[in-house]
Amino acid sequence: MRSGLPFETTGICRIVDDPGARSVDAMNELSASSRITYRAVMVRPGVARRIRGLSDRTLAWLFITPTIVLLLAINIFPLLWTIYLSFTNYRANRANVPTIWLGADWYQSILTDPDIWAAMQVTAHFVIWTVVIETVIGFGLAFLIDKKFRGHGMWTTIILLPMMLSPAVVGNFWTFLYQPQIGLFNYVVAFFTGRDASSFQMLGDVRLSPWAIVIVDAWMWTPYVMLICLAGLRSIPDYIYEAAEVDRASKWRQFWSITLPMALPFIMLAVLFRGIENFKMFDMVNLLTGGGPGSTTEVASITLKRAAFESWRTGYSSAFAIILFVTVFGLANIYVKALNKVKSR
Amino acid sequence: MSLDANPSIARRSLADRVLRRGPLEAVATMIIAAGVVMLMQPFSLALYSWSFATTLFGTVMFTIVSKVRE
Amino acid sequence: MTSATTAHSVVEPSAATRRFAGSLVVLYAVITMIPLVWIMLTAFKSPDDAISYPPKVMFKPSLEGFCNLFTTRSRQTPDFIRSLGPPQGLCDSIARSRNMVVAGPSNYVPRFVNSLIIAFGSTVLAVALGTLSAYGFSRFRVPLKDDLLFFILSTRMMPPIAVAIPIYLMYRTVGLSDTRLGMILLYTSVNVSLAVWLLKGFIDEIPREYEEAAMIDGYTRFQAFVKVVLPQATTGIAATAIFCLIFAWNEYAFAVLLTSGNAQTAPPFIPIIIGEGGQDWPAVAAGTTLFLVPIVVFTVLLRKHLLRGITFGAVRK
Repeated sequence: MRSGLPFETTGICRIVDDPGARSVDAMNELSASSRITYRAVMVRPGVARRIRGLSDRTLAWLFITPTIVLLLAINIFPLLWTIYLSFTNYRANRANVPTIWLGADWYQSILTDPDIWAAMQVTAHFVIWTVVIETVIGFGLAFLIDKKFRGHGMWTTIILLPMMLSPAVVGNFWTFLYQPQIGLFNYVVAFFTGRDASSFQMLGDVRLSPWAIVIVDAWMWTPYVMLICLAGLRSIPDYIYEAAEVDRASKWRQFWSITLPMALPFIMLAVLFRGIENFKMFDMVNLLTGGGPGSTTEVASITLKRAAFESWRTGYSSAFAIILFVTVFGLANIYVKALNKVKSR
Repeated sequence: MSLDANPSIARRSLADRVLRRGPLEAVATMIIAAGVVMLMQPFSLALYSWSFATTLFGTVMFTIVSKVRE
Repeated sequence: MTSATTAHSVVEPSAATRRFAGSLVVLYAVITMIPLVWIMLTAFKSPDDAISYPPKVMFKPSLEGFCNLFTTRSRQTPDFIRSLGPPQGLCDSIARSRNMVVAGPSNYVPRFVNSLIIAFGSTVLAVALGTLSAYGFSRFRVPLKDDLLFFILSTRMMPPIAVAIPIYLMYRTVGLSDTRLGMILLYTSVNVSLAVWLLKGFIDEIPREYEEAAMIDGYTRFQAFVKVVLPQATTGIAATAIFCLIFAWNEYAFAVLLTSGNAQTAPPFIPIIIGEGGQDWPAVAAGTTLFLVPIVVFTVLLRKHLLRGITFGAVRK
């Protein structure tokens, strides 16, 4: 009524319909039954024009276009530019040097370079171990929380905290925990194993540093896997267990033939997402080790950052970026497929 | 399931079955997965060199296949 | 394993099982909290306590970490310090006890303010754009809808470093490098995909009948959207906003590569807080604590919607 809508008639309708509700807010409570009363209003020509107003088609595009335009400008245009640059010798710090078209030279040199291959294996070590550890512990935790002990809601929230925090800021603090002499991590390990706390360096030792980043990532992201597995476990209806119980299936058997298969789509979802995220992991590793010592923790993103923002080989790093991007994009396709599978549950 | 089905019908249903979205998507998924494994395996440099082409092919195939009727 | 005489349903775990499960989960929760508790403890330690061996759990609380976080100091001779008047404030007296004087404020506050402006700016934009698009995708027949939705999601999946190269060149060309506006636009573009997917889920759950009734009542489609759908979607919009806020607040990769001073946010700044002879851990811990507290609060507020957020709205519990 305040907005100049034709409420002089609808007001009457509403009084007939529900004498108490006279405010616009009551609109929210409109039920299908009261619609019949309102339909009468539609015959007024002025109202009909208002309903048309903007056609749905126009409005749909008006609503969606800004988002698409933003994404085209900030994501797709740069991506196309990267593809172009990956075929040239362009260097961002020497913009005046004439750009030469190189064809697929960079791709060839990256895909035959043993150093980059080594970086991919460092990435593989990181991805595989984090995903395995997070899945095992995450699923185990979800299984336990699903037993609905007292206070499980509060403890679940506490467990979830690490994954919401900034990987960079918290990862940076882990370098303090990993200090050989004064770090808490070394102290605790020394306390339980009887070794000297300064006898090992989590971040400085070529054998230990790949595990140092795995530990921090597992600490941070196990809750993520736990949360999704919990949803999977809760989606299994009770009657299936009841039927199994009637059939006298053992708890062990129930776990392998009911719990695990039915939670599997959810586990896959978590595994895929963690796999993709850790494949492109940058912030936490950059702050913990920066790729060192040597290049033992140089995951793909660190290699890319060094090439792009330290040696300024823009063309070369663009080609590498495209290789990483295509891999992630391929995996994202599978991820969305897994997502839709879970959605239909 | 029946083994004594008419062979001509079997052939048609075979083509029908293969050229559907589900199986094709599964094949594309496998190719992408193979490409990712090739990228990160520590055994053969040659496989690593061909990983990008494999992943790219699988991704393009997935995009096309997802347009095929269900 | 379970006694046959239990009265409740067969699938209900026994009391012993629950206690056992509960104690294991609590054990995990306590272990996982140790690093976070340690950050907070370190923030209140003096530099000597922070690097003592064995690590100290009991110590005399000190605000030196916070003082060092907010100020820059310069070393002076004892004679010079004696020649000054009485110390101004707590931080000055702490600094003087270490033969230093406070030289001025540090960069932490400006970086923190940058974080606030960029996080809130990008959140408002992303949620506004996301709500419109989500409504469009939810209610209208859009050609290539699934492809557009996948395209929107895939932009979030891109590796940040791969995107950072061309963004760096583009921003340099148009003069957006190291500006807050540039970072707001960038974070908006990353967040809008999450916003669209999440909000589409929330709007899908609002019955269409509400708007149809309103439109029959004389509302235009747009008015129905503003006056009927938006109020119904408030919870969803709030949850989405918090998710966007947390992402923008935590983001590091773009921030460290694309900003250097003016628009630098807190995450790239906190790791480079250096005292004399290496990192000043109490100050780093103090900065980290202040930076993490809002997220802890938001996580608790958001706990019912977390699952939805991390699965792009696919799993609704």
